[in-house]
Amino acid sequence: MNMKLDILLTHQPIVLKDWLETPGPQEGAQVFFSGHVRDLENSKTIQALVYQAYEPMAEKELERLAREICLQHPVTQAQITHRLGTIAVTEAAVAIRVVAAHRSEALEFVRIFMDRLKQDVPIWKTGSLP
Amino acid sequence: MNILLFHSLKESAGASEIRIPVDQPLHASELWNLVLNAYPGLEPYRKHTRMACNQSYVTDETLIYPRDEIALIPPVSGG
Repeated sequence: MNMKLDILLTHQPIVLKDWLETPGPQEGAQVFFSGHVRDLENSKTIQALVYQAYEPMAEKELERLAREICLQHPVTQAQITHRLGTIAVTEAAVAIRVVAAHRSEALEFVRIFMDRLKQDVPIWKTGSLP
Repeated sequence: MNILLFHSLKESAGASEIRIPVDQPLHASELWNLVLNAYPGLEPYRKHTRMACNQSYVTDETLIYPRDEIALIPPVSGG
């Protein structure tokens, strides 16, 4: 199955209200997840986290993971953005939107993708601002 | 051969790249040995660090060529 895949690393804020779209006539499920910076990191209160990446490899790994997971949990669209640089508390560090024929594929895709992202994609929290 | 370092490895070595003389193909495990001989301070990171060649993770048996782009990837923390 062909998956429409859109991957982006950006230093700009992720604007959540721009993410949801109406799926196509054969797409019965849309799942959106965003991961946000919390005000506690290693038991300390913080204002922001700083993220860095090995960018060319991070983009390749995000694509590799999406295509691999799609083999088991076919989705028709996957849109994935990870923000880099300084990200303030409450702002999104990562967002993913997937569309599929049925909810089970879409929900599983997002769950597995986020687990694998945290294992394999060369992006690091490199510091925090108190 | 230049080897890219990131995050904790970069801090430990005090540089974002190290240079290892390599003039013929070798296995990733052999390249690791050369790196640790030249930079023994990286030894504590070896167990939890993965090597990448041309932006893909390798196994110990992967063949590395002198012009490949090599990076050492410590545990990641994105998301």
